[in-house]
Amino acid sequence: MEEFDEILQDFLVESFELIEQLDQDLVELETNPEDLELLNRIFRVAHTVKGASSFLNFDVLTHLTHHMENILNMARHGDIVISSDIMDVILESIDLMKAILENIRDNGNDQGIDVADCVVRLDKVAGGDGNVEHPDVVAPKEDVATPAEEVSDEAEDVDYSNMSDDEVEAEIERLLKERQAQDRAKREAKIAAGEEVPQAPEIAEEDSEKESKQEPKPEPKPEPVKSTPAPARPKPKPKDKEQNEKRSATTVEQTIRVDVKRLDHLMNLIGELVLGKNRLMKINEDVEERYEGEEFLEELNQVVSIVSLVTTDLQIAVMKTRMLPIGKVFNKFPRMIRDLSRELNKQIELEIGGEETELDKSIVEEIGDPLVHIIRNSCDHGIETPDVRIAAGKPEVGTIQLKAYNEGNHIVIQITDDGKGLDVDVLKSKSLEKGVISEKEADSMSDKEAFALIFRPGLSTAAEVTNVSGRGVGMDVVKTNIEKLNGIIDIESEVGVGTTINLKIPLTLAIIQALLVGVQEEYYAIPLASVLETVRITKDEIYTVENRSVMRLREEVLSLVHIGDIFEVERVFDGAEHAYVVVLGLAESKIGLIVDSLVGQEEIVIKSLGEYLKGIEGIAGATIRGDGGVTLIVDVAALMQMAKSVKSSVNSESVVGSNVNEKTKPSDYCVMTVDDSKTDRTIMRTSLAPLGITLVEASDGVEALNILKSGEHNFDAMLIDIEMPRMDGYSLAAEIKKYNKYKNLPLIAVTSRTGKSDRMRGVEVGMVEYITKPYSPDYLMNVVKRNIKFTMEVSS
Amino acid sequence: MSDKLQNIINKQQNQSNPEVTNIEDIVQLVGFVVGDEEYSVPILTIQEIIKPIEWTRVPQTPAYVLGVFNLRGSVIPLIDLRQKFGLNSINHTDDTRFIVIRHEDEVAGFVIDRLTEAIRLNKSAIGPAPETTLEGESMIEGVGKQQDRILTILKVHKLLERDF
Repeated sequence: MEEFDEILQDFLVESFELIEQLDQDLVELETNPEDLELLNRIFRVAHTVKGASSFLNFDVLTHLTHHMENILNMARHGDIVISSDIMDVILESIDLMKAILENIRDNGNDQGIDVADCVVRLDKVAGGDGNVEHPDVVAPKEDVATPAEEVSDEAEDVDYSNMSDDEVEAEIERLLKERQAQDRAKREAKIAAGEEVPQAPEIAEEDSEKESKQEPKPEPKPEPVKSTPAPARPKPKPKDKEQNEKRSATTVEQTIRVDVKRLDHLMNLIGELVLGKNRLMKINEDVEERYEGEEFLEELNQVVSIVSLVTTDLQIAVMKTRMLPIGKVFNKFPRMIRDLSRELNKQIELEIGGEETELDKSIVEEIGDPLVHIIRNSCDHGIETPDVRIAAGKPEVGTIQLKAYNEGNHIVIQITDDGKGLDVDVLKSKSLEKGVISEKEADSMSDKEAFALIFRPGLSTAAEVTNVSGRGVGMDVVKTNIEKLNGIIDIESEVGVGTTINLKIPLTLAIIQALLVGVQEEYYAIPLASVLETVRITKDEIYTVENRSVMRLREEVLSLVHIGDIFEVERVFDGAEHAYVVVLGLAESKIGLIVDSLVGQEEIVIKSLGEYLKGIEGIAGATIRGDGGVTLIVDVAALMQMAKSVKSSVNSESVVGSNVNEKTKPSDYCVMTVDDSKTDRTIMRTSLAPLGITLVEASDGVEALNILKSGEHNFDAMLIDIEMPRMDGYSLAAEIKKYNKYKNLPLIAVTSRTGKSDRMRGVEVGMVEYITKPYSPDYLMNVVKRNIKFTMEVSS
Repeated sequence: MSDKLQNIINKQQNQSNPEVTNIEDIVQLVGFVVGDEEYSVPILTIQEIIKPIEWTRVPQTPAYVLGVFNLRGSVIPLIDLRQKFGLNSINHTDDTRFIVIRHEDEVAGFVIDRLTEAIRLNKSAIGPAPETTLEGESMIEGVGKQQDRILTILKVHKLLERDF
């Protein structure tokens, strides 16, 4: 039974692939009814499915495909010409075939779908009288009384199990003979028809019916996994029959089916490797700084760059294995357009370009739905009826162009129609009517913003709900799906000329480029796919309109939000004149995100925050940085939502930290002394003892920094020695000044270094006083008193 | 000499005998202190115990969720048990540890004040959770009694349950 399952799986996979190709071929056939190569190919598909399904005992399917094959055979021989009406019937039968195959996939049998009606029509087309009980081509198994036959078949099945081995052998022998006779007759018919018998050698085909299923695929689809770079999807062209045959031979050998799970696992491992690489590069930088000029550095450098190079290549290679040509999605559209144009009584032509452009499998799966909705929309609302078009002086046949191309790390899918275009006023009035926007909003809206209205749920420009569209749901789906992919939607439209919708989608999802931004002491990663640009502005470029901060960006007005407001970052006073604005674009909307600093661009691997923290608003996940720390990844879609409700505080400067508590007694003042020599610390302590202030001691820079960070004390000043192990006084001062809340903490150098350059360096890193050793206790006391604004009486 | 050895062996046998009674009746716990009280969790739910490392704050979470930290490539949430139990947070000391607890697929790190010891406890020495006025399910699995002290056994799945 296991073997049977395996065969069944193969059969299903193969059949679905064949059918996908079939749709396209059939539509092409309609415009090119004389194309024999095309016909042969279609015929072979029907034949293959029929052969395999009869082997697998799917009688309903066999019955249906048999009649399809019949018609196609006649067309092939020129007995009938495929007209639109005949095509309708054939397409209908293919839909049925799909339904049956899906049924088989889901339920394991081909029951429950009524094909009788369609078969009768197929038969009529084939010149029969519609009375299929007596089909012209004799095939004993294929009787219209299928359900009954199915029962008898099952009975046979039971019989088999009761039979002895010999009996089974005999039965097989008998069935084989029967089948062979059929095959022979068929082959003879083919030869008679002047068609070369498909490559399968006779013996192979006679051996078992299974072989017939393994007949070389007439038109092998590009396999999901492909090592050859960007193979052009074979466009059905009548001429290169030979080339096609050749391709079929080579592609089969060069591809291999791989479980997607394995690829996903591989992708995860690569992700870990990328993190490791990032970390290695960071360490390399540190080592370089520390051991400047050492010989081994060069070697280390070489190794690191090789590892980094190979990792990048490996990542690209693995990414490529997951890539599928977007043609896989585009394939279904010719058929869809054909059906829609007949249904809507319009004449529409679809032009497809760039179907060989490749995309990650997960994206290819997500992109299908939005495209369906956009194209349906274009057909229904965009393209006008032929008489309207002629009246407008346009060609009778409307054109929809579907195009894909690469642009940097993105793929752009462009859907253009030459229909009536989007009317901004109609959109606005409709939205007003439905209460989607307010009158004020409508007035201040730019054209682009108005176009974006079509993505609002519940809004439809269609006068009435048709079978095709008008419920105002479809475009909302487009927006949601594209947002999920971190994509950007751009609409251009001109009334009477047409509409162009651009979908810009990142190539892959697992490893992304991100812009790292800093706010206070925190860092966040923003997917670069959503970053349109970054600008530096001064505070007075920010305006407030209706309690919202905005800025003017060229011709547009951009609303602003501070990342700190969204992520509740504790805001310590920041007196910086400038701010950085990261302009984010997602789907159809834009927003400016104010950050304190831009750190740079980095390749990051998205990790989930786990079950416990999942679904945190505004956070898409986390990544591990080169230094081993965790950085959160911003969920741009959610951030845009949150921005709407966040109250503006961009300009309101928060109060300076609450550490300016009233000092009531000398011990409220707190000073840290940093010196590696215990003697020196003792001298400082005794010198300052008369003041009665609290003293905290640290023996080097690292310790001092840790004490400072722990926040146990609020220091009013620090006395810092310059020569210290681990971290010297200059570095310590520089580190301290990185923190906003210590910007104003007086740092006093206490050192035996007296050179002018030493003093200069001290000033550069932010030290306010420079005391040279030795010093008198009084001098030190006075300097400290002055710096901590000590006003009390000294007790001594 | 051999007498002494015999004595020791006898002693050991006597010691181990009561424990051998039934291995299933023994619960192994790891004790730790949060605030003034001693708590414990079953030893098998602990993935590891590490010294404090840097973590990253996660916005939109209650104060007791300190953030996330990197444990050899995994991003793991960090929860401060002091704040979770309604105590004031304190600065980490040399004794502070992160206990990484796993239950089924859920993992989280918990900040505790200090570890005490691994404890073997007979099931009979564990009483039910005290009747409390707490509505809903409490976090306490039971109370273990040892000679001179009482320790609270926490429900691991409750600890790892998101309640915000």
